[in-house]
Amino acid sequence: MAKHLGDRGRRVLVLEAGTRTLDTWPGHLDAMNTYYAALAKVPNSPYRANAAAPSPDVLDLQGLPEGGYRATGYFLQNGALPYASDYQRATGGTALHWMGLVPRMHPDDFTVRSAYGYGRDWPLGYADLEPHYRVAEHALGAAGDAAEQSDAIGLPFPPGYDYPMRRIPRSHLDHLLATRLDGTTIRETPDAPETTLRVVTTPHARNSTPNPHYDGGRGYRPAGAAGLPNYGERCVGNASCTPICPVQAKYTPLKTQATWSRRVTLVTHAVVSRVLADRNGRVLGVEYQRYDDPAAPGHTTATAEADIVVLAAHAIENARLLLVSGLANSSDQVGRNLLDHPMLLTWGLLDRPTGPFRGPGSTSGFEGFRTGPARRARAPFRIEIGNWGWSWSAGSPGSDVARLLGIPGDTGAPRPPGVFGTRLRETLGRDVGRQFSLQFALEQDAESRNRVTVDPAHRDRLGNPRPVLTYDLSDHVKRGMVAAKAVSDHLFRLLGADDRTAYAPGPFAPGWFRFDDRDYVFQGAGHAGGTHVMGDAPATSVVDPWQRCWDHPNLYAVGCGSMPSMGTANPSLTMAALALRSCEQIDRDLRELRRPAVVRLPEGQP
Amino acid sequence: MTATPAPSTLAEPPFRVPRDRADLQLFLQAALTLEHLTIPPYLTAMYSVRAGTNRPAFYAIRGIVLEEMLHMTLVANLLNAVDGDPLVANSQFVMDYPALLPFSRDKVPIALRHFGVDALETFLYIERPEYVAEPPGHPSVGEDDGWTSVGQFYATIREGVLRLTAELGEHELFRGDPARQVGPRDFYNSGGEVFAVTGLDSALKALRAIAEQGEGVSRTVYDSDDQLFGETRQPAHYFRFDEIRRQRAYGPHDTPASGPTGPAVDVGWREVHPIDPAAKVAHYPPGSAVRRAAERFNQVYARLLCVLESAFTGDPAAIRTTVPTMLELRDLAERLCRNPHPDPAKAALGLYASPTYEVTEAHFERAREDARLRA
Amino acid sequence: MDSQQTAPQPEAADDPAECAGFVDVSVRLTGFDAFELRATGMVRAYHDTTLEQVGRPAVGRFLEDLAAAGGDPEGLTDEVSRDIARAITHLWYLGVWPPLARSTHAALGREKPNTAFVVSPEAYVEGLAWRTFHGHPPGAKPPGFGTWSDPPPAAPARPAEGPA
Repeated sequence: MAKHLGDRGRRVLVLEAGTRTLDTWPGHLDAMNTYYAALAKVPNSPYRANAAAPSPDVLDLQGLPEGGYRATGYFLQNGALPYASDYQRATGGTALHWMGLVPRMHPDDFTVRSAYGYGRDWPLGYADLEPHYRVAEHALGAAGDAAEQSDAIGLPFPPGYDYPMRRIPRSHLDHLLATRLDGTTIRETPDAPETTLRVVTTPHARNSTPNPHYDGGRGYRPAGAAGLPNYGERCVGNASCTPICPVQAKYTPLKTQATWSRRVTLVTHAVVSRVLADRNGRVLGVEYQRYDDPAAPGHTTATAEADIVVLAAHAIENARLLLVSGLANSSDQVGRNLLDHPMLLTWGLLDRPTGPFRGPGSTSGFEGFRTGPARRARAPFRIEIGNWGWSWSAGSPGSDVARLLGIPGDTGAPRPPGVFGTRLRETLGRDVGRQFSLQFALEQDAESRNRVTVDPAHRDRLGNPRPVLTYDLSDHVKRGMVAAKAVSDHLFRLLGADDRTAYAPGPFAPGWFRFDDRDYVFQGAGHAGGTHVMGDAPATSVVDPWQRCWDHPNLYAVGCGSMPSMGTANPSLTMAALALRSCEQIDRDLRELRRPAVVRLPEGQP
Repeated sequence: MTATPAPSTLAEPPFRVPRDRADLQLFLQAALTLEHLTIPPYLTAMYSVRAGTNRPAFYAIRGIVLEEMLHMTLVANLLNAVDGDPLVANSQFVMDYPALLPFSRDKVPIALRHFGVDALETFLYIERPEYVAEPPGHPSVGEDDGWTSVGQFYATIREGVLRLTAELGEHELFRGDPARQVGPRDFYNSGGEVFAVTGLDSALKALRAIAEQGEGVSRTVYDSDDQLFGETRQPAHYFRFDEIRRQRAYGPHDTPASGPTGPAVDVGWREVHPIDPAAKVAHYPPGSAVRRAAERFNQVYARLLCVLESAFTGDPAAIRTTVPTMLELRDLAERLCRNPHPDPAKAALGLYASPTYEVTEAHFERAREDARLRA
Repeated sequence: MDSQQTAPQPEAADDPAECAGFVDVSVRLTGFDAFELRATGMVRAYHDTTLEQVGRPAVGRFLEDLAAAGGDPEGLTDEVSRDIARAITHLWYLGVWPPLARSTHAALGREKPNTAFVVSPEAYVEGLAWRTFHGHPPGAKPPGFGTWSDPPPAAPARPAEGPA
């Protein structure tokens, strides 16, 4: 948004709570070293902690031995289940560590309440968003195959539309699965309708071969690394997209930031603590806290005035700020409808080498369960084919090495003898080399009980109240997980694969629960949404279809927090499309503000 | 230490402006060999730094290697445009090191040295912006009987291109098959954008890019990537090496006369694996792991050159295989450089093993055979 | 930063005897040969880490026990020596010094905390685990654009398919 508005001559001030270390190549290399030296390669592992602008980390959550969880760190959590995702407060934001997948939402995702009887409807539809999807695909640099997306999923595109870059090549694992499964039909229950399996490539915001036909034949030039010339113009297969791309072939907002015009001013180390409004609801600007050293406690407070204020701090931080400021909440929906994509992971061994830990984390998936009449009864899901072995589900290969050597998790437990030498080397190679996993991303229905609140008794080091999360999964989602597991079982059988999936409570399973007499463990996808939900009426939503707060016409809350549903698609592309659409309204708002007043003469005068 | 062998030399074209198509092709083939000649010495320095150290130097040299490969590709495009046939995958293409820098009045040998002051001094010599004499035939060089600088050699090619365009007509001179041109589709991270050569303008642009990336725009520190490619301009090769040598970066207002006045550059001269510049595969005991690795390196290098030759002779898309092959070479080189030299006397001096770049016809035959089997 | 302007003196050669012994033992522990171990550049770092973590006397006993077992780590009977074997192997495979068994930690009278740590960023990058299946560590040693589409080395060729 800053780029778009700055390019159109607007003066833009961007207040970033975190630091801008990663803008430079040395800062990036430092993050690489931090990542290499991290014991747990979690999404925030390359990024230094910042006590002035704390970020949640997945390591903050621990499962308890008999079930339940404990949350430490930035979030306070009091829900039946843990909100299991993180985010990052620094220039570039959470998209520093995103995987970089950019599927579009399905048209059905916009009307889940009216069509399927759950969740919330969007106040606009796929057709309204479609032109902005195309602009977003250009802005991020998307690599995909529109004909395949249209054919396999039924996504509408304008005729002849091409992505800027050709699709990221499929992994060897994708090819193996396609060979064995394409065209096969399965049913998730004996009486359910058939679904035909097909491995479909996923669109990525990642540098691939430019498409010479793009943009009427003008083609596309991949945007390389933000800090170094002649670097990052193609993905080279580092296989660490989450949490960091060493060559910056994956899109991050730093690439856009590097093209900001001089009319955009970036101030970092600036935590916005309150949005300021007058008695009439007109927002005046913000109050923010400036700190020098993330490790030292001092800060000063300043204000910034603006004609329009845009909150773009992440769904949870946006909600927190609105609650602390006491604004935008006549609907009582601020902070509510907290969404994620709960992820169900399954994993096993194929009968031959899969070449794991190569390439992007997922290059293809199964799209056949993303919509359909079954949504009425259970959450739909998108299946990601996991190229990185059991790294997410089981901490491979580190866990395999430890297991084979006879090193258990508990230092007090007895140690089996373990294997060494060639036996270790060959066993590890043979087993890890055949690993694969499937990742089921379930749609979560918006529920007002899932929410972000604040408690003035719990503050961070700058004195800002920390987010309090209340989170749970509905039966609709849990039934979706039942179906997902059934589909997974089918797939493993069809593949002749050795299923090693196991769910049990324990320290590494904070997302454990029981449903229908079975154990499940879910993970967070890192996709927060819903917390300043968009709607068609002020009584029932926080923002209008332009992401403008109903209560404050010059305050925008943008991001996934506006989304009433995320469907089964990774939400960042949709978020970008929405933001670009909002820019149009902001342009109109600013022109309106500048319009000369028309002075009317009293009636009867010529 | 074994006696330094007599340096090998590249056959220089005769000291004249190319007078016909065949002559121009000969000159361009020599340019192709010349652009490749510096790559093994640059790679040797790069791969000899200890893991995790000397990052600025590593990335600087890497960037320069990629630009040399861009130069090779532009020369190949130009050679193809004038209906020539680039030759890359043969044993004459890879020099024996130490090799003499051609087109130079001084006979300076270039050896495969580990990263250090000596290597950098050599690189600075190779890339130095120098007084470029006029092409042969000009009165000012009437007394000369040979080439005196690489710049003069390229200026002479330029002169040849202009004369032959005038003589034969642009369309006739640049009659090569356009399908042979390597474009930006599959050649990335390339230090500029590779572009097709289709006529006089693109031919002159290619020659300008080569000259100015190496030595800089006349009397400045910087190349012309901003004008030619719409990219951030960088210090030209010479000055990037200078930054490492002097451990200080050039700022935007610095000139060749002022020297670098920007931030300090972190260089650890001791954080290297020293190697024997005269290392040969024959020095490594037969059957040893080091010997196998060194031979493997030479085999993969042959494969790289076969890939380039395919890309330059009708299959431009093949160039996309160069990056994976170079990454494989990097891994092999680093593994070699971390192993002590098998000769106990050399190991006692603290020397490590290193790739030897001895690529023979047998290597090329085998690489071609492997490619056939994989196809 | 080093302002040395003349050619560097070669690194004082690693004391050949000591590190050669460590390399020989590591060959038996890891199943990788000496060339591959030295190719990681981590010999000195792992040797020093081991000594720091368990102390010279314990290492000495470990070496004796290993010799008594005919050089076969799987023949080690003393639990402390076996645990040291596990730790060194874990170090080579992942670049991580692992937690020792509580009993080992106590038996050695160690004062340092019994927690795992990554020896250095380079140690992660040079982990041998990735080489057991012709892979590479995530975030380093990338094999190149599109290479993830090819069968991994030593996998059977893919059967021909129809249009993807």
